[in-house]
Amino acid sequence: MSKVAVEIQKTTLSASYKTSKSLGNKIGYGILYFVLAVIAIIQVYPLVWLFLFSLKTNQEVFGMSPFALPQAPQWGNYAKAWTAGHIDVYFFNSVLYTVAAVVLTVILASFVTFAITRMEWKLSGLVLGLFMAGYMIPLHSTLIPLFNFFKTANMIDNPMSVILSYVAFNLPITIMILSGFYRTIPREIEEAAVVDGCSIHRIFFQITLPMTVPVLSTTVIINMIYNWNEFVFVNTFLSSDKWKTITVGVNNFVGQYLTDWGAIGATLMISIIPVLIAYFILSDRIVEGIAAGSVKG
Amino acid sequence: MRSVMSNKWVISLYILPALILILLLIYIPIVLTGYYGLMDWNGIGKMKFIGLENYIELAKDTKFWQSAWHSLLLGLFSTLSLVGYLILSLILASKIKGANFLRKIYLIPMLLSSVAIGQLWAKIFDPTNGMLNRLLVLVGVENPPLWLADSNIVLFALFIPIVWQYAGFYIIIFYAALKNVPEELIEAAKIDGATPLQIAYKIKVPLIAGVIKVMVILAIVGSLKYFDLIFVLTGGGPNGASEVMASYMYTEAFSKYNFGYGSAIGFGLLIICLVATWLIQKLLNTKDVDY
Amino acid sequence: MSVIMLVSLALAGCSSSSSSEESSSDGKKVIKFMHLWPEGSSNAQFSIVKDIITEYEKEHNVKIETEILNPDQYREKLKVLASSNELPDIGMTWSDGFIKPYVEGNMLAPLDDIVDGDADLKDAFIPGVKESYAVDGKTYGLPLELNISYVFYNKEIFKKYNLEVPKTFSEYKKVVKTLADNGVVPATVGAKDGWPASFWFMYLADRIGGPTILTDVIKGKAKMDDPAIVKAAEEVQNLVDMGGFVKGSSALSNDDAKGYFMNEQAAMFLTATWELPNYTTSPDVKQEFKDKIGYFKFPTYEGGKGTSINSYVGGPGVGLFVAKDSKVQKEAKDFVGYLVKRWGEKSVTDAGVIPATKVDTSKLDLAPMYIEILKDLGEASNVTTYFDTQSSPAVAELHHDLMTALFGKQVTPKEFVKQHAEELAKEQK
Repeated sequence: MSKVAVEIQKTTLSASYKTSKSLGNKIGYGILYFVLAVIAIIQVYPLVWLFLFSLKTNQEVFGMSPFALPQAPQWGNYAKAWTAGHIDVYFFNSVLYTVAAVVLTVILASFVTFAITRMEWKLSGLVLGLFMAGYMIPLHSTLIPLFNFFKTANMIDNPMSVILSYVAFNLPITIMILSGFYRTIPREIEEAAVVDGCSIHRIFFQITLPMTVPVLSTTVIINMIYNWNEFVFVNTFLSSDKWKTITVGVNNFVGQYLTDWGAIGATLMISIIPVLIAYFILSDRIVEGIAAGSVKG
Repeated sequence: MRSVMSNKWVISLYILPALILILLLIYIPIVLTGYYGLMDWNGIGKMKFIGLENYIELAKDTKFWQSAWHSLLLGLFSTLSLVGYLILSLILASKIKGANFLRKIYLIPMLLSSVAIGQLWAKIFDPTNGMLNRLLVLVGVENPPLWLADSNIVLFALFIPIVWQYAGFYIIIFYAALKNVPEELIEAAKIDGATPLQIAYKIKVPLIAGVIKVMVILAIVGSLKYFDLIFVLTGGGPNGASEVMASYMYTEAFSKYNFGYGSAIGFGLLIICLVATWLIQKLLNTKDVDY
Repeated sequence: MSVIMLVSLALAGCSSSSSSEESSSDGKKVIKFMHLWPEGSSNAQFSIVKDIITEYEKEHNVKIETEILNPDQYREKLKVLASSNELPDIGMTWSDGFIKPYVEGNMLAPLDDIVDGDADLKDAFIPGVKESYAVDGKTYGLPLELNISYVFYNKEIFKKYNLEVPKTFSEYKKVVKTLADNGVVPATVGAKDGWPASFWFMYLADRIGGPTILTDVIKGKAKMDDPAIVKAAEEVQNLVDMGGFVKGSSALSNDDAKGYFMNEQAAMFLTATWELPNYTTSPDVKQEFKDKIGYFKFPTYEGGKGTSINSYVGGPGVGLFVAKDSKVQKEAKDFVGYLVKRWGEKSVTDAGVIPATKVDTSKLDLAPMYIEILKDLGEASNVTTYFDTQSSPAVAELHHDLMTALFGKQVTPKEFVKQHAEELAKEQK
C-alpha cells in the first residue's frame, strides 16, 4: 500500500521535475527548499516558544499570544528552577539512569537481534514475536504489578528498578528497529568469515556490529529521548528526593491551585540542552558511521 | 556453516539476559493484568473473583469499542503519514545541500516532553486567543472551529500534534536505512540513465522494505496504545469524543477506582494489538530483498 | 561494558543501605510523610510545612522524611501504594467519596483520639468540616483547608458598562447580556476539567431547589431528575446560549480559563477562595490588577427554594491521614495534631490559605478581602460540599464528563440528569 501511494506522490513531484530545462530545475528546487524550510520552522518553533515562555511571568503566559516577547525577561525563573527545582541532583540522576539504560538496552538488543536474524534455529520467529508482543502492553497496566514485584525484591526507592524497567520496555522497539536493519545488511562478509574459520563472537563483534553503527546511533538517540523524558516510573518506584530526575523537577512546579509556567519553561529548557547536545553529536555519527561501516567488497 | 550458525550455546547466551528481563518485567505484568481483569477490585481493598464478567462486559461495552475505533483511526492516520515521512527522508538522503542540518531540526519536537507539547498545542488550539484561530480570523474566516471543544473534529485536531511529534522519529530511522543502501547500486543506476525518481522508487524503497514494514507495525501498535497527548490535551473528551483505549483504561482504573475492569480493558488492548500485528504481517508479507 | 557493570553494582550496593528503615542511624524514629505541596509551585505551603517540621523535630526525638509530588502524581502514586499496602505513615487525603474506599479497605487509622485528647483542637474545627472525613462516625482525616466559592469580578469592566453587582439571577442575566453585546466575555470557566463548570450548576441547584437538594440526591434521599435540578441544568445552557461564557469553554482547563480573567478579557470568574492570593498578596500579580478585583455572592433565583444568599458551594480541601499499619502510629498521630494546630495559626498570613480551624482575625494582619471572607464564613447559613467530592469516584468522573458535555451542548439537561440518576442508582442498590 505504501509503495503505491509513494508512486502517486512521486508522479506529482515528478511533474515539477519533468520541465527539465535549467530554469525549470531551479524552480523545482526552489519550491522544494521552500517546503523543507517551512517544515523546519514548524518543527523548531516549539523550542523558540519554550524559550520565550521560560522568560515570562505567569500572568504573561496566560492567554497572550505565544509569539509575544516577554515584557521583561524573567531570568529569575532559571534561578528558581535551579534552587527550588533541585536541578543539580535531578540532572545527575537523569544522566545516570538514561546512560545506564541506553547502553544496556542497545547492547542486549544487538545480541538478541544478531541471534534472531543471523543465526539459524527453529524458535527464532517465536522469540522475535515474544519481544514484539512486549511492545503492546499499555504502560499504566504495568504500574501496580511492577510496583509489587519491586517491593517483593526490596528494590523500591532503588534506581535499578527504574533503569531495569527502562531497559525492559525499550528492548522490544529497539530490537524491532535493529531487526529491520539487519535484514538489509548483506550476509556475504559474514559467510566469508565463517568459511575462514572465525568464531561467532568474532563475527559479531568485529564484522556485524561495526556495520550497524548507523542504526545503533539511531537507536541510542531514540532510547535516550524516551528515558530522559520519562516520569511515571520514576515517580512510582522512587520516593527519596535524592533519586529523582529532572522530569520530576518539572512537575514540581505544577501545584494544587497554581502552576508556575515560567519556572516549568526554565526547567524544560535546562533539561533539553543536554539532550540537544547529545543528539547533535550522535546524529553526526550516523553519517560518519556510514562512511566507516559500509563495506565495499 | 550450518553448525556454526546454529550453535545452541551461543544463541542462548545471546538472547537469555534480554529474554529473562522482559519475562520478569513485562510478561509478569501482562499476566497479572489479565488476572486482575477477572476480579472486582477497586485497587485498594479486597479483590473479589468474578470470572469472565469483566471481559464479557467489555465485549458489549460501546464506549470501549468506540475508543478502539478512535485508536484505529489514529493508527491509520499515522500509517498514511509514514508516506510523507518516507518522502521527506528520501529527499534528505539524496545529496541536497543542508540535508544534514534539516534532518537534525526535524527531530526537535521529539526531544520535548509531553507536558511541554501539550501546553503548546493547547495554546495553539485555544478558540479565542490561539494562534490557529487568530490566523483564520485574519484571512477572513468568521466562525473558526472550536477544535478541541468540538466533538466532531477533536480527534482529527489531535492527530496533528501527534503526527508532528513523531515525525522526527520516523525520519531519523528512514534516513539511516536509506543511507545504508550501497552507493555502488545507486551509481550503477545513474550510469544506466535512471532519474532520481526512478532510483528512489525502484532501488531505494525496495531495499529498505524490511525497515518500512517494521515502521508500519510500530506506527499502528504505537497508535493503538497511545496515551500521552490525548490525555494531556482533552482527557478523552469532550464526552468521549477523543477517548482512546489507553485513556479509557486509565480513567476506569485510576480515576474511577474500577481497577478490575480497567485491567480487562488493558488486556483487551493487548489482544487487539496482537491481532492487528498479525494482520499486518499477513498483508505485507515478507518481501525482504536480501542479497 | 565493564563500566556499566561496576555502576550497577555500586547502585545495588547503595540501595541496600537506603531501604526502608524504622530508625535512622542515630536511633530516632522515622516518620514518612507524603504531601502534595512541591517547593516550586506551592512554595508558601511548602515552607510552612517545612518550618513546622523543623520546630517539631527540635522538641521531639523523631525524624520526619518527606516525599513531595504534584497533586495528579500524588493521586496516582497513592493508589499504587495502597494496592500493596505501602501507604506512608502520614499522607494527605480528600474528603467524602475519596477517603471512603481507603477506610473500607482498612488502610487508615481513626483519628478521633487526637482531637479528643487535645483541648486546643476539640472545638477548633469549623462545624461540619471534620465530619466530611468521617465514615461510620469515626474520623479518619483531619482537614487542613476550607474553601468557599464566589463570583470574582473586574470592577473596572463593570464600571465601564455601568453595571451593578447583581443580586438576583435576572439581574445577572442582564449583566451578561450587556457584556456580551459589547464584545466582552462575561464569565470564564474551565469546563474541560468538569469541576469548575460544576460550581455554576451547583449554585443554580442550590438557589432553585434549596441548599440540601444535591446532597440529598447523593445520599439517596432525593432524585436527580427532580424538576429543580433539571431547571438548573437548563439555566446553565441558557447562559451558554446567551454567550455568557468564554467560547469553547469545554476545551479549556481551569488554568486556561483563568488566563482570560487574569488578562482582563473576561469580566467574571466563579472560583473558590484558593485563588485569593492572586487577588491580594501574591507578588507575581500586578497591584493594579489586584485593585480591580472584587467579589459577590452568587445571586438568588426568583421563586427558588434557596433563598439565602449566604449558602455557599465549597468544601474542605486536603486533610491528613495516618496509615493503619504505620509502625510509628503514636508518633505520627502526635505530629498530625501538632501540624494541624500550627498550620491553622500560620496558613492565612503565610500562605493566604483558609484553614479548617477557626481563625481569630483580631490578632492577625490580613488583607481586607480575607477579613470579609472569614466573616462571611462565620455567617454562612450552609456550605454544600462539591458534588464530585461528596460522591464516589465513579460518579465524580461521570459528573465531570457530563458537566463538560452540558457546557459544550453535547447533552440535553434531561440526558444530563438521566445519566447521573442511572449511575447513582447502580451504587445505591
